[in-house]
Amino acid sequence: MTAVFALPPAPPLAGAAALRAAIRGFLAAHLPPGDATRRANSWSVADADFSRALGAAGYIGMVWPREYGGHERPALERYLVLEELLAAGAPVGAHWIADRQTGPLLLRYGTEAQRRKYLPGMAAGTLFACIGLSEPGAGSDLAGVRSRAEKIPGGWRINGQKLWTSGAHRAHAMLALLRSEAGSERGAGLSQFLIDLDTPGITIRPVIDLTGAHDFNEVFFDDVLVGDEALVGAEGNGWAQVTAELALERSGPERYLSSHALLVALIDAAGDNPVLRATIGQLTAELWTLRQMSLATAAKLAGGEDPVVEAAIVKDLGNDFEQRVPQLIQAVLDADLDGSTDLVRLLAHLLQVSPSFSLRGGTREILRGIIARGLGLR
Amino acid sequence: MSEMRAQLVATAEALFPTAPDWLALADAGFPFLLVSERQGGFGGDWGDAEAILRVAGATALAQPIGEAMVALALPENARWPHDGRLPALAAQVEGVVSADRFTGVLAAVPWGRAAGQVLADCNGRLLLLPAADHVAEGSSPAGEPRDTLHYADAPAQCVGHGELKAMGAFVRVAQSAGALAAALDLAVAHVNTRVQFGKPLARLQAVQQALAVLASEAAALGMASAALARALDAGDASFEIPAAKLRANLAITRGVAIAHQVHGAIGFTRDYPLHPFTRRLMGWRSDFGNDAFWADRLGTLAVTAGGAGLWADITRRGDR
Repeated sequence: MTAVFALPPAPPLAGAAALRAAIRGFLAAHLPPGDATRRANSWSVADADFSRALGAAGYIGMVWPREYGGHERPALERYLVLEELLAAGAPVGAHWIADRQTGPLLLRYGTEAQRRKYLPGMAAGTLFACIGLSEPGAGSDLAGVRSRAEKIPGGWRINGQKLWTSGAHRAHAMLALLRSEAGSERGAGLSQFLIDLDTPGITIRPVIDLTGAHDFNEVFFDDVLVGDEALVGAEGNGWAQVTAELALERSGPERYLSSHALLVALIDAAGDNPVLRATIGQLTAELWTLRQMSLATAAKLAGGEDPVVEAAIVKDLGNDFEQRVPQLIQAVLDADLDGSTDLVRLLAHLLQVSPSFSLRGGTREILRGIIARGLGLR
Repeated sequence: MSEMRAQLVATAEALFPTAPDWLALADAGFPFLLVSERQGGFGGDWGDAEAILRVAGATALAQPIGEAMVALALPENARWPHDGRLPALAAQVEGVVSADRFTGVLAAVPWGRAAGQVLADCNGRLLLLPAADHVAEGSSPAGEPRDTLHYADAPAQCVGHGELKAMGAFVRVAQSAGALAAALDLAVAHVNTRVQFGKPLARLQAVQQALAVLASEAAALGMASAALARALDAGDASFEIPAAKLRANLAITRGVAIAHQVHGAIGFTRDYPLHPFTRRLMGWRSDFGNDAFWADRLGTLAVTAGGAGLWADITRRGDR
């Protein structure tokens, strides 16, 4: 058998009921009121006050060592908290990248000084990070990165431009992939740097998206000087580190729950309409299956393995689902998209933003290439 | 996987491809997998049954092994004569029961003509019926027996309560998981060997991307099947059965089309071994509840629970 997803369902997590009750209690007390559309795609919705409260309650950096502000909880407890936050539409966008990616990367590759400088603030929900990968000439083809770091005595001089940088205008630091060896090509000669965004020479400009919202940015580096302590991991090892980083971001619950708020609103409005019930049934079946797949992949990650192909499958199927949720609901809901109910406003909002779901974090085509490699086709 | 399950799977993988007849399957004990050891069976669980039914699907086994497992497992304290004849499962029943006699019609009974006894679902009451008085033979789209059984004042024993459509759906989901995985295997092997434009089809990006989708659908179906078996073993799968059958049907819809597309004309021939999987898969979409039936069931469960309640239900069931 061609087994590219030979994972069993994840076993039940001990203490799950108590942990769910605790995070639901936190959400009941702290979930901010406000526009219903902020509950959709809520891991892109930033609320610094909410992040601070969440950090204070111990729900950020859950698996990190205590000495860096973490809580040393099992990885699957963190997964449980994340899925509860997203299912409730909590605005977790401010700290999401630091918790998911930047913090774990520092624990794996960072120096002691870097960990002490950044991790406690990240775990407290007060220090936010962004991802500096894409550039004008390097999107899906990430090895085309040209922004460069030039070695100078005691540090590095950085020049270049990053693009599509979500949340750079709110973040305190960027983990940037830069070409640290002049004349190097593709994946060779790249290094990662953690750069404080208040360093002189950095300019952050908004790139307004098609809904009129400001999430993306372009970030310019003009003779930005950083110390040797900004280098993360080994010089020249950036490509391997980034590849490991990307695997962490592909199979989480954010890859299938971005449209969940709309499904919730539809269920609460469906009444005894048989057509709406049938659509809800279809979508619920996919939701249930995707949760099982995402959770099974998380269990494999928690066991220290690297489920690259499984994660690609979860993200591709999950993105397809969260894009079809608004489409299928639009097809059966008798409503004017200019309406004022939460249901219609969520629908109109998600129809606009959902095309991005299969672009961010690895496009559909890149993911399917990874799956095809797993099948031995390339 | 437990040692017992691994042994059962190994036995099935050796036996099923030999096109065994019913007696050979019964001799190996597979129909009695779910019967308790006290009653002379294996005492296996639903996870064991799921593993065996995957093998049945992946080997295109042309015997109603899943229906027999369920028909033998569900009756409470029933004594099944080991007379060598099939036990069959009837989920679509029209008729009346009075004073332990049944008059009516059982529709779409897999292998009904060969049945020595039939377990029939009469509005949730499970009736044990003898061989039919009259059989109108029919066939599934894949050419397997699917008969209509007629009874007039036949002896009927009530042996418990349950929903055979749900249990039949479990059987089809598990078989589908094996069959779609087998279709994926054939597709991968084909594109690796078939040369066009001077290279194997596997080198074409369009083909790679299509097979990635087929692999993902097979993965989703496999997970739905395994998670359903786990819910059955946890004691209640009233939510998971509709969810898994709906996801299976979606995976079949998407996956079968791709398996055929990448095969080209050869996959459409009688001699090539793709159709034993794809024709069955396409028929199984209708068996034991189609999309409309299970979507209404699951949608009603979701609406009854409410938007937040649905999430609470899904997680509570998963945490069992």
